[in-house]
Amino acid sequence: MIFSVVKTICADQWRYWLRTKVAATVLLLGAILTLAALVVNAFHIEEAAHARDHFQTEAEERFKAQPDKHPHRMVHYGHYVFRAPTPLSVIEPGVDTYTGNAIFLEGHRQNSAMFAEQRQSAGLTRFSSLTPSFLALVLAPLFIILIGYGSVSREREAGTLTLLLSQGTTRWQLMLGKLLALITASGLFLLPLLLACFYVAFSSESVLVVLLFSLSYAVYFLLWAAVVTACSALFEKSSVSFTMLIVIWMAACVLLPRIGSSVATNAAPSIGKLEADFKVVEKLRSLGDGHDVNDPAFKKLKENLLAKYDVDSVDDLPVNFRGVVAQYSEGRQAKVLNEFAENRMGEELEQAHIARQFGWLSPTVSVRAISTILAGTSLETHHRFLREAEALRLEFVQGLNKVHVEKLDYKLDMNRNASEEAAEKAVVDADNWALLSEFDFKPEAANTRISNALIYFLQLFVWVCITTLLLKAAVRRLNP
Amino acid sequence: MMRFTDLKREANFVFGHRQIKLTLLVVFLLSVVSLWSGYAEMQEQQATIERLLEKDQIEREAVITQQSNFGMVAYYAFHLTYAPPSPLAFAAVGERDVFPWKHRIRMLALEGQIYESDTDNPELAFLGRFDFAFVTSILLPLFIILLLYDLKAKEREARRFDLLNVTARNAHAIWTSRVLVTLVPLALVTLTPFVVFGLANGAPVLSILTVCAIVIGNIAIWSAIVLVIGTAKRFANFSATHLASVMLGVWLVTTVIVPVTAHTVINSVIETPEGGDIVLTQREAVNSAWDKPVEDTWRAFIATHPQWADYTEFDPERDSSFNWKWYYAFQQVGDQTASELSRGFQASTLQKDTIASYVALFSPSLLTQRLLSSAADTDVEAMVSYENDVRAFHKSLRKFYYYHLFKDPEFSQESLKALPQFTPSTDTSHNNRSGKKE
Repeated sequence: MIFSVVKTICADQWRYWLRTKVAATVLLLGAILTLAALVVNAFHIEEAAHARDHFQTEAEERFKAQPDKHPHRMVHYGHYVFRAPTPLSVIEPGVDTYTGNAIFLEGHRQNSAMFAEQRQSAGLTRFSSLTPSFLALVLAPLFIILIGYGSVSREREAGTLTLLLSQGTTRWQLMLGKLLALITASGLFLLPLLLACFYVAFSSESVLVVLLFSLSYAVYFLLWAAVVTACSALFEKSSVSFTMLIVIWMAACVLLPRIGSSVATNAAPSIGKLEADFKVVEKLRSLGDGHDVNDPAFKKLKENLLAKYDVDSVDDLPVNFRGVVAQYSEGRQAKVLNEFAENRMGEELEQAHIARQFGWLSPTVSVRAISTILAGTSLETHHRFLREAEALRLEFVQGLNKVHVEKLDYKLDMNRNASEEAAEKAVVDADNWALLSEFDFKPEAANTRISNALIYFLQLFVWVCITTLLLKAAVRRLNP
Repeated sequence: MMRFTDLKREANFVFGHRQIKLTLLVVFLLSVVSLWSGYAEMQEQQATIERLLEKDQIEREAVITQQSNFGMVAYYAFHLTYAPPSPLAFAAVGERDVFPWKHRIRMLALEGQIYESDTDNPELAFLGRFDFAFVTSILLPLFIILLLYDLKAKEREARRFDLLNVTARNAHAIWTSRVLVTLVPLALVTLTPFVVFGLANGAPVLSILTVCAIVIGNIAIWSAIVLVIGTAKRFANFSATHLASVMLGVWLVTTVIVPVTAHTVINSVIETPEGGDIVLTQREAVNSAWDKPVEDTWRAFIATHPQWADYTEFDPERDSSFNWKWYYAFQQVGDQTASELSRGFQASTLQKDTIASYVALFSPSLLTQRLLSSAADTDVEAMVSYENDVRAFHKSLRKFYYYHLFKDPEFSQESLKALPQFTPSTDTSHNNRSGKKE
């Protein structure tokens, strides 16, 4: 009985929207945009996934197809890894277009990712992008405002509010009816998104992640519908509620995320890779050059090795001393490189955390954090990509060094520059290149992503509480 | 004709309004904050460049003194290249956060080095920069809509509309003057902080004036849009807020839908070589050289460097399987093999940018943003021209080392004093560029 009143009010609001052109246009535009974004993005991601998969396979095949060579030449030949897009990046591409998605792996160096798509966009997508997440987080609230700012104040201005309330409709019924109408309308934007989510859930993503992902978007829409209805009731005139809501939208969706980004840049400046590289080089110089067996840094290594095998000169060692040096110095160097790389990632993460604290000021920021983290398109997942690439780099480089130690005769190796024939002898069999493992990047496990996003769920929960209070206040103060 | 008394009355009216004063204050604060944050960031970039320059010098000298031949020096010595922020970069960070503005390069194949990017935190770039260009191109139109949408409706609702129309000598003049007294202060609160920051940062007065003109132009376009919609007969019976919805619709279509649609279309129309292809091709060419007959490398090298045709011989006793001349020749050949792809990649970047500049004609916000980053030398063109500076510098390195490797003069630390130094291109290139655009 109580609910039927709510339903009537909701239905009445819908009749009004369909009658007035502005609301109908907004609803149609929103639905078309969301669909278009989904379709375009799905194709784009599909294509990118395909291309990167192709490059990955090709890079691996080329590596393995190399002829008999000196193993250290393969260390410099190197390998490429490509990051495949995650399933949910169809909805939330996140930082993907801003990070490169290919890394060249080689001995002695950690390279950065190359080919960020954003560089190819001529600045067209710096403010907006045709991604479902941008539409849902930034534009959908504007649409909700445009259709809902006057839902209650219109009744007041037309004098029908008095009529409604005097006919026995309670304030809560009225507000819930209006809210329900706005929620169903915003459902038009949400529905394509949810359908895409379910499609993803059935393909390859953890169901729990997809559920939480779509839940956070649904809550976000709910929040806006509630804020809009509350403002529409709180302010006497439609025009005031309109202005207030637009100001709130500008602050929450457009301004605060960017202010967060700028504050983070300036509050915790990161020194960048180039500058960190100098420090790496300084530290590495003390470790010695792995190409040169006579470098004093390896004297101790040599002594230990000679003692271990109880021989007098490196020529008598059962292993290739050049390979031992290469293996030893690569290992030590990787440690230094990783120490600095971890530092840098820590700095970047700290900046991101500062920017995400703005989630306490704007629900858009918190949902964006949740959405990128769950979709596996956040900074954390990018760092995971960098770490996995580094692990693979070290694995194949050290694998090649091991081949160098065990399968290449030291004398042949030292003699390699004497003549072309000598160079041809200082090689190992191409079968050894099979040591390269496949690179198949997957984002963090579902649980890790969820626990990374917990704090931002808390932010969202606080927003739900605040909005509920606002709605309550609006109901209490609802006067004809 | 507008009369001074009309203006004065309207000014009193506007400044008597709390909402308008508040809006102006907010715009002023946004302008100051955006400028300050851009300024701080550019100061940091400048400081970074200075620190890098110092370390680069020390590092290179340390490396060079340890070496005993030119081949080794060329292998181990890195050179810093950079694009310093222009005096106006603080106002429009532009593409500086996705394109690299610093590289350290050496004599090896350039295609393997130039796509490395030491760019900023991707998450912050993704959230976007809060710079002056953003405030003026994206936010300012929204404020203009908020300030002007109920210009007439408010008076109608307050039942002063007819009175105003009757008491003013000219009905149009009164609305024009009201728009003026609202927008002139808006332009002032936006631009005054910019001029102060610009002068403090030593930007040329002409560029400062250019930026002011761009911003004023944007304000003019948006007030025209708002006024046209507000007075259109078609919308005569729309309420003020419905009118505002239409205005926001125009903002939405021009600021969001036009650019993203154009982006989607451009990306599917313009063929871009895959970045992955460039680097794979280059690496393949460089590494396969080890296994190929030496003559193959020389043939390809001499084709582009005929002046060294008589110098490719080297001592078979000393270095039959390895020689630096040959090593750097196949690095060069690697670049040559990938050069078509690489040129195509750059050309498509520029072509997309050119098309975007036409698209911008349909989007005042995009146009403003592009003009501002062009004035601040942070647009795609500026970043590509930095890439070309790096290529030119790498070429001069090659010229230097080829001479020393092929002519084989006695190695001395002294001769390395003549190593080419990277100097960033100065403002003249910027003037040429913007001259071309206008």
